[in-house]
Amino acid sequence: MLTVAHITKTFGTVQALQDVSFDVHDGEIMGLIGQNGAGKSTTFHSILNFLTFDGQITWNGQPLGADDYNQIGYLPEERSLMPKLTITQQIVYLARLKNQSAKVIKPKIADWMTRFAVKGQPTDKINKLSKGNQQKVQLICTLIHEPQLIILDEPFSGLDPVNADLLKQAIVAAKNRGAAIIFSSHDMTNVEEICDTLVMLRNGQVVLHGTVDDVRNQFGRTRLFLTTDWSAEQLAALAGVKDVTAIGPNHYRLQLTDAEAGPAIFDAVTQGHYIQEFSQQPPTLDEIFRTEVEGVTHE
Amino acid sequence: MNKTWIVTSETYLRQTKSWSFLMLILMPFLFIGLTFGISYVATPSQDKSDIAVISTDHSLRQSFLDNSDVATTTKYKSVKAAQQATTKSDINGYLVLKVVNHQQVQAVFHGPNEISSGDQAKIQRFLSTVQTQMNVHDAKLTTSQTKALARQPQFKQQLQQKTASNKAAKRISFYILVFFVYLILTTYSSITAQEIAAEKGTKIMEVIFSSTTPRKYFNGKVYGVLLMIVTQLLVYLLGGALVVQLAQHSRATQQLWQQNASVIGKVLHNLLSINLIFALAAVLLYTVVSAFCGALVTRVEDAGKASQPVIYMNLLTFVMAMAFQGSPTSGIVKVFSYIPFFSSYLMPFRLINNTATTSAALISLAILLATVIGSMWYIGKIYGGLMLQTDELGFWGNLKRGLSLK
Repeated sequence: MLTVAHITKTFGTVQALQDVSFDVHDGEIMGLIGQNGAGKSTTFHSILNFLTFDGQITWNGQPLGADDYNQIGYLPEERSLMPKLTITQQIVYLARLKNQSAKVIKPKIADWMTRFAVKGQPTDKINKLSKGNQQKVQLICTLIHEPQLIILDEPFSGLDPVNADLLKQAIVAAKNRGAAIIFSSHDMTNVEEICDTLVMLRNGQVVLHGTVDDVRNQFGRTRLFLTTDWSAEQLAALAGVKDVTAIGPNHYRLQLTDAEAGPAIFDAVTQGHYIQEFSQQPPTLDEIFRTEVEGVTHE
Repeated sequence: MNKTWIVTSETYLRQTKSWSFLMLILMPFLFIGLTFGISYVATPSQDKSDIAVISTDHSLRQSFLDNSDVATTTKYKSVKAAQQATTKSDINGYLVLKVVNHQQVQAVFHGPNEISSGDQAKIQRFLSTVQTQMNVHDAKLTTSQTKALARQPQFKQQLQQKTASNKAAKRISFYILVFFVYLILTTYSSITAQEIAAEKGTKIMEVIFSSTTPRKYFNGKVYGVLLMIVTQLLVYLLGGALVVQLAQHSRATQQLWQQNASVIGKVLHNLLSINLIFALAAVLLYTVVSAFCGALVTRVEDAGKASQPVIYMNLLTFVMAMAFQGSPTSGIVKVFSYIPFFSSYLMPFRLINNTATTSAALISLAILLATVIGSMWYIGKIYGGLMLQTDELGFWGNLKRGLSLK
């Protein structure tokens, strides 16, 4: 288990992290979200000991040191490989630095290339591969030694939906074998889809923390999707309705001032009759993200 | 496996497998081989440079063949055969030996070109010896008279320590050493700085530093480059030994070698001594500083610029060594021969000129090695920050940001 406890980091006069705390358990995926400059990469760099910081970071109860490096798989935000090496040379070199022998790693390369649908041969040089395939090779380098702690900085960035699905499968497979996974993303759909927990940073501070459902529910079920022959004006006149948006013919999204207004609206709209849709939901992560970002922008 | 060793072996193998390294290693041998090849083609074959010896006096002919030291062939025994061989340029010519009136020994050379002055002297010496023996015999001298006539004057040279050959050896040693150190430092400074800068430019360092510590990685890089240098030196030493063997036995260089054996011996002694350790330590220091410079560059395309500070430093020390080559006792040379970077040129220079004691050399070497170890320790400590600092802020800005990153 990775434990980040009260870490604080300052660059000159800039407070990059302020009392950040969270845990990532074995077999758990945690999403780290936040605006650019919120402190996500600084958090990763602190975990990896690239930076000194105040506070404590432990792995299985012990400070994370050089001996634990072999259990880490890290994908940095800026994609990078050694262009003059072949795919095999690159993967084997980085795996050897994770204390894996070439004999163990080499036979696995073809299988991982198939799994990520890398177009090319193991003997191809990195600089001959397309950008997308280079990114996949880097993902293979991150995962092939089956690390117990996986840190992925914007892993979905630059991947098309098909390849993003391949990556999601690989992440879930790592979770299923017991790895603790932490990744950052701007795409809330991916976070919502595969994360067990999430942490949102704003200006280096944790502003949201919990399971995805808990985080969403703490904002209340204030979104109401409704299919009815009522007009937008009629709906807007109902008590507890803050805003109405038509999203299709007879299909509306209502923003409620209070989740408790839901039953009264249900009674008013249905009047005891069947309606096609009445779905009261908490805001999506994307909406929460925007709300939180706007919050800081307006502050 | 030790991660430092993994980085060392990777750096070493990647660099030594490159064409540029192969060319770097092979270039001197290609050059020497070409020189030998050209001189072999240009030098006439053994038979063609020989002369035939013709005489009706078999004992005189045999005596000439045995004692004259002139390159001869025994293949031709008649004037006609020798003439034909000379016409066909199979031999250089032929010498007809005879004794005129049982009193005077005579030799006549027949050939298209004049015989060499060396061979002329050898023939003259042989003829004088034979003539003296005939004169003594004809004069019917007593044993004591014969001994008295055989008495020769004596000429000896009482040479001072600083002889001409010593001076030549020192000069040659100085030039070889200075140019060798300059070239090797320039080459490896560039290789190291560019390798580090290019690596930093690819932004792969974060991945690597999530696998091993910056210090281990930095040490591995330096050891890798050091192994390359050791490889190059070993190849040069083995190749040099081979070239020495060739030079001693090749007819193109044999004579030159024999004439200058003393100077060559002294030059080799000057080079294969503590001076070699100075050169190695210098390379190590320059490699460490080059790695530091490489780490200050943020873009791959700036890799070429990375080595410039070290190359200028090397140029400065080289120019200083050249400027003071005639003043090995100068106070400036003395002081700078203890200062790292300068000591790699100036202490060997003083040692070659016998103006520094062994203990002075050991003190200078100790300072140099302490500087190497100190810089490796310090740069290893800040290396992570420098390599992870990827914003383009200029030399000092990059340094400042890199130092503040940890």
